[in-house]
Amino acid sequence: MSNSPPTWRRLWGDATAALHRARRSTWVDLLVVVGLAGLLYGLIDVATQWTAPRRLSVEIDLSPWALPQYTLLSLARGLVAYAVSLLFTLVYGYWAAKDKVAARVLIPLLDILQSIPVLAFLPGLLLALSSAFRGSNVGLELAAILMIFTGQAWNMTFSFYYSLRSVPHDQQEAATLYRFNWWQRLRWVELPFATMGLVWNSMMSMAGGWFFLMITESYRLGDVDFRLPGVGSYMSVAVDEGRVDAMLWALLAMLLMIVGLDQLLWRPVVVWAQKFRVEEGAGGPAPTSWFLDVLRQSALAARLHAWAARTTMRLPVRRHAESAASPTVATPWHGLTFVAFAGLMLFLGYGAWKLVGLLASVPGREWLITLAAALVTLARVLASTALGTIWAVPAGLAIGLSPRLSRIFQPVVQVAASFPAPMLFPMVVAVLAYSHVSLGWGSIVLMLLGTQWYILFNVIAGAMAVPSDLREAARSYRFSRWQRFRYLYMPAVFPHLVTGWITAAGGAWNASIVAEYVSFRGNIVEAWGLGSQINQATAAANFPLLAVSVLVMSTMVVVFNRLVWRRLYELAERRFTLSK
Amino acid sequence: MQQATSAATAVLHQPNGSLCEASGITHDFALPNGKHLLVLRDVSLAIQPNEVVALLGPSGCGKSTLLRILAGLIRPTAGEVRYHDAPLVGLNPGAAIVFQSFALYPWLTVAQNISVVLTAANIASTEAATRAAAAIRMVGLSGFEQAYPRELSGGMKQRVGMARALAVDPEILFMDEPFSHVDALTAESLRAEVIDIWSSVESNPSSIVIVSHDIKEVVYMADRIVILGANPGCIRSIVVNDLPRPRDYRAPAFLEMVDRLHDIITGHELPDEPVAAPPRLPCMEPLPDAQASEIVGLLEYLDARGGKQDLFQIASDTQREFGRLINIAEAAEMLDFVDTPKRMVILTEKGRQFLQADAAGRQTLWRAQLLNLRLFRDINTLLERQPDHRADRDFVLETIILNMPEENYEKVFETFVRWGRFGDLFAYDETSESLWLA
Repeated sequence: MSNSPPTWRRLWGDATAALHRARRSTWVDLLVVVGLAGLLYGLIDVATQWTAPRRLSVEIDLSPWALPQYTLLSLARGLVAYAVSLLFTLVYGYWAAKDKVAARVLIPLLDILQSIPVLAFLPGLLLALSSAFRGSNVGLELAAILMIFTGQAWNMTFSFYYSLRSVPHDQQEAATLYRFNWWQRLRWVELPFATMGLVWNSMMSMAGGWFFLMITESYRLGDVDFRLPGVGSYMSVAVDEGRVDAMLWALLAMLLMIVGLDQLLWRPVVVWAQKFRVEEGAGGPAPTSWFLDVLRQSALAARLHAWAARTTMRLPVRRHAESAASPTVATPWHGLTFVAFAGLMLFLGYGAWKLVGLLASVPGREWLITLAAALVTLARVLASTALGTIWAVPAGLAIGLSPRLSRIFQPVVQVAASFPAPMLFPMVVAVLAYSHVSLGWGSIVLMLLGTQWYILFNVIAGAMAVPSDLREAARSYRFSRWQRFRYLYMPAVFPHLVTGWITAAGGAWNASIVAEYVSFRGNIVEAWGLGSQINQATAAANFPLLAVSVLVMSTMVVVFNRLVWRRLYELAERRFTLSK
Repeated sequence: MQQATSAATAVLHQPNGSLCEASGITHDFALPNGKHLLVLRDVSLAIQPNEVVALLGPSGCGKSTLLRILAGLIRPTAGEVRYHDAPLVGLNPGAAIVFQSFALYPWLTVAQNISVVLTAANIASTEAATRAAAAIRMVGLSGFEQAYPRELSGGMKQRVGMARALAVDPEILFMDEPFSHVDALTAESLRAEVIDIWSSVESNPSSIVIVSHDIKEVVYMADRIVILGANPGCIRSIVVNDLPRPRDYRAPAFLEMVDRLHDIITGHELPDEPVAAPPRLPCMEPLPDAQASEIVGLLEYLDARGGKQDLFQIASDTQREFGRLINIAEAAEMLDFVDTPKRMVILTEKGRQFLQADAAGRQTLWRAQLLNLRLFRDINTLLERQPDHRADRDFVLETIILNMPEENYEKVFETFVRWGRFGDLFAYDETSESLWLA
């Protein structure tokens, strides 16, 4: 082996070179064309769905052959919503980062939007939009996309905003010194710097988006059917008809969609984004993507890429002559910013005024009942978070601390975390009904189903980040299992755990809307709480009560965030950070 | 008075008497890609009572691994460690480690960091308190008990690390480059304090094993100096250092000892023999891990100092670890830009030509020198023969693995690309992992 004859090596070299040429063949181009065509078909399909006359109830073909089309519909909704989220992120984040006055309103607003349970708005939104577009399905589709958008946009926007704000000072100065205009600055300095964060947050958002999509696709209010054709409604119809085979097909379709999206979209994007890594030197092996490797063989894709690079390079490059543009002010935005800002403030003020009018009509007794219901739901949220913590912390530590286990389990957990739990709700409700568990307790299980993964995921990440020298010290000083847990793992993981809690509790509040109010075999099953009250108020068209419920829930969540989660987070930052 | 013995005849057969003895230690690490990297080969070493042993070597020679094997943190792939003449199973019962990175728990105070290891050793809380207090006093940390590690400087953090180790009353104190993250002045005083604590014969630690790449530190502290070589790690020689204590950095005997170590290291790492090498070397030379800019820097340095300088003087002038500087000098010698008789580094005629040339001329000369090396010549021939003058990274890796199986091939490849790019010999695209003629 070690002294192979040079002729052998020459032959081998010739062979690889020949292979190399062969790989640059046209079949990859063909694949690219087919992929693009498929995408186009999906969009057209969605468009025809939108403009079709309004259905009174969803018609689902439970044959597995119809499933690919439903999956494509769900996928298209998710992707359209993601595109909207990305656009929103770029505009809102850029605006907030460049305009200091606006940022004072925009950022707290974003913080509130991020923490309130947006699903509380779903029943009202569906009602409003479906009556606005009476003749077609546009209203329902819009509601679905809006719902997914609200599940996706906020963390992406925050990430983009903070990236823009933390562009290194010297890079800013260099951009100013070489007279970049705002577009060049964005294209060459700010976007590259923000890309890594944006990519990771996009992946998280997309996973969160499926949660909202499954809920909106299978939502029924009283006897009104708001379901949209898609994987979510396929599942809910399958459960209604007790078709186990169809349920399994739906699960498989969802899994395939998640794995496919990961392999065909996110992995390539992550690998591509590696070139924007700021720190030098590698931390761990570089990620790889077979699909990107294939794409890079395509001459067509290469030409498309070159064309895109040329065009964006040439975009509105209007050199301005002033010698020193301040790095934070983008000149062409001034007037526009002011108008938009004023519009936003007017809109918010008007909304607040109308709301006060609505709230005033609600009697005090109903306020009290709402508050009590909110406390019950809060208890359920905390119970589900606690249950999740009890199993996810030991499991997460075991996985994260062992390289072997994390190699095996990380992909599994990743898929499980992106799998939308609401899709399983009908099945779980059936099991609960069969074993005579009341929904009051059962709803805790439903919430847990959706949120435990956030805790597990964060604990694994925290455990993997425990520095090896601290672990080695614990070993060399013979810490017992309990001492390791108490003095090393728990403190090291704590900041990650708090992040997991915040996300999990937020998800549980959202889930309460569909966990406390479930339609099962044509009947509505309820558990008393704020989640079910929101549904009831909407079904009874009791809009003042709906407004009160949504307001109480939002306030409750925001206040709880400020008083509990944020303090825990600050404690974690102060005491348990490993960075210094 | 001082004697150097070769590894083979070193303290292999010390019946009993020794505190801790490693024999025939071989160790390899599994790399993420499934290959194995040999870090230690057939190392034998015994630690006697009441001595300070230093493990000295360039980075990557496995000295920290050897320390961890002696402490029982790592189980060697082959070979045996004995403690008080009984085979070591698991952790070494008489050992405590002071870590290079301190390894303090950031969420515990100084006092808690110390008391927690005493709790772990099942020491009753009253005794633990007295011991912790004694350890804190011993390293001069009184008054800092309630501070968190992040409030302390590097030197103070390492005092906590030392107090923690001393609190468990170890028979052998293992120190893994303990002062390399501490500023030079503080390190000086810490060294003296460690020797003070060690020198009281009636109390522990009986012996100290210290890993270091700092020759003066080693001469100041150690009774025996174990010089290790890299690729794979092995003992080159063991030097007995019986200078009287307290030692003075400027004493002639001290400087003489430093000098001797310099000679021994250069004798191993930059041997003088292969001067009369045949024009076409039969085997492929491994590329030392050195950047082109460092090699040019070395040439400029020499040129500004009359063309010759002592290797260790250069290391201290340029504030580089000597192992690193040896790599650079070795690389420059491979390219014929310097000669390294004994410890001297001397600019050659080629080196002078290189310095006098303009940027383009330097590149031409660099390219010509690269093509004298077989790895570059072979790959270059291959690229010329290819119709599209291209080759994959994997092909070059394969060539490296076939010809120098003991090297870290990814490191060699990295150097290969850097040197090749510097000479404009070929271009390399990281994303497609392909190499082509420039």
